[in-house]
Amino acid sequence: MKNEVNYSREHLLYLSGVKKKTVWVNVIRVAVLVLLLSLWELSAQCNWINPFITSSPSRILKAIAELYENGTLFYHVGTTLWETLVGFFIAVGLGYGIALLLWWSEAFRRISEPYFVVLNALPKIALGPLVIIWCGTGSGAIVFMTVLIGIIVAILNMLNGFMATDENKLLLMKSMGATKLQILTKLVIPSSLPNFISMLKINVGMAWIGSIMGEYIVSKAGIGYLIVYGGQVFKLDLVMSAVFILCILAALMYAAVALLEKSVIKNR
Amino acid sequence: MKEVLRFENVSMHYHSKQGETVALQDVSFSVNEGEFVAIIGPSGCGKTTLLSLAAGLLSPTKGKVYTNGGSFGYMLQKDELFPWRTIEKNIFLPLEIKRADTPEHRARALALAEKYGLSQFLKNYPSSLSGGMRQRAALIRTLSVDPDVLLLDEPFSALDYQTRLSVCDDVYKIIREEQKTALLITHDISEAISVADRIFVLSKRPASIIAEHAVAFPETEPLKRRENKEFSRWFELLWKELNV
Repeated sequence: MKNEVNYSREHLLYLSGVKKKTVWVNVIRVAVLVLLLSLWELSAQCNWINPFITSSPSRILKAIAELYENGTLFYHVGTTLWETLVGFFIAVGLGYGIALLLWWSEAFRRISEPYFVVLNALPKIALGPLVIIWCGTGSGAIVFMTVLIGIIVAILNMLNGFMATDENKLLLMKSMGATKLQILTKLVIPSSLPNFISMLKINVGMAWIGSIMGEYIVSKAGIGYLIVYGGQVFKLDLVMSAVFILCILAALMYAAVALLEKSVIKNR
Repeated sequence: MKEVLRFENVSMHYHSKQGETVALQDVSFSVNEGEFVAIIGPSGCGKTTLLSLAAGLLSPTKGKVYTNGGSFGYMLQKDELFPWRTIEKNIFLPLEIKRADTPEHRARALALAEKYGLSQFLKNYPSSLSGGMRQRAALIRTLSVDPDVLLLDEPFSALDYQTRLSVCDDVYKIIREEQKTALLITHDISEAISVADRIFVLSKRPASIIAEHAVAFPETEPLKRRENKEFSRWFELLWKELNV
């Protein structure tokens, strides 16, 4: 807010010191990446390692270019991205709703607690064959898997946030004569916003696990499909390329949530 | 004088798996309109229970609480301003809750805020205000629905000593100026003496009333009262009563 403050020389030095440090961290981060990639490339070029098994940055780029040229790159990326996003939003939305119901009714909460504990501990991948039979072999099965993996975490995280509402603020609302619905909309939901954001962050990861795992089990397209297919036919360049694309997509989605966080939680 | 609140042989029992706790035992007292009444008692003696009973948030196990149809405003230890709302929105909160969020009521609340020096902070978030200002905003929030009786649950105890004295002075003046009835619950003897017209002393748990005093000072302002010679005499008396 106050841009026109005249800082002392010491403070300016301190500020430039802080800035320098940040710059250095960034420079070294990039340098590490460049170093690792060039070492990888060099080792492959000089045949210190077998590029057929380990692939190499140049081969990865070539594989991605090939995918692009035969027109399937965006098809696969789009398929997985669609499944992930749909699964993500269903898991988050449904999870939020169920957590609200659990907050609302103590009876429901107490009765369902052991079920959620077990469902949370259960490795959802074990339900793979059932998912195929119930939802077929299309995108539906993969979205279902994504939802399955994300929803329990979403419910438990949100419920935690709702239940952590400050006791004194609850007392204050009650003393004003607030109804349960008013307490929910004016206190519980806004005060659990940080939990909502952290739940979104966790669920970004969950959604990618869900969609890729779903594609491992059953798929005709997508990044997970490319990884499995590449592994089966020993095209490790393809596997590496798919993983590389996955890294970028996951980072972008996380960045989107982080951006949302910045815009929502600025006043706390 | 009109009674606005009366406790008649009120007892309060709490039940838990570990057993039954008697928080209040046969408590009787009354508060008249326009009075500033303080109730002091040792920590953990059931003071907050008493206020919750007065506000109607709890119903007594035995006895009766008469409120004469008046409305209550509650002020807690911390300001409990919602950090995601601006000061203005915080002040409007009770209006929203009571579904009285009309332009007239808003204007009244804003007039109060302006009268007591909050107008420049209305669009700010609570985090940018000092502790004293926040507590003042909390008082204006309580007053925004024009309650008949203010219930003050150790409203200054979260503040540091300096701020506490001035905020206490501040709150006292506002309450007097708005001609409100107030019931203050505290464990701070000097705070009670500096603001109250009458003081009730509660015993340890199970709490019951062991003494009642009408406090008369020529001065009305808390800080001035503290300078009066009588002040330390009152302090000693209440101190002894609390520690029997």
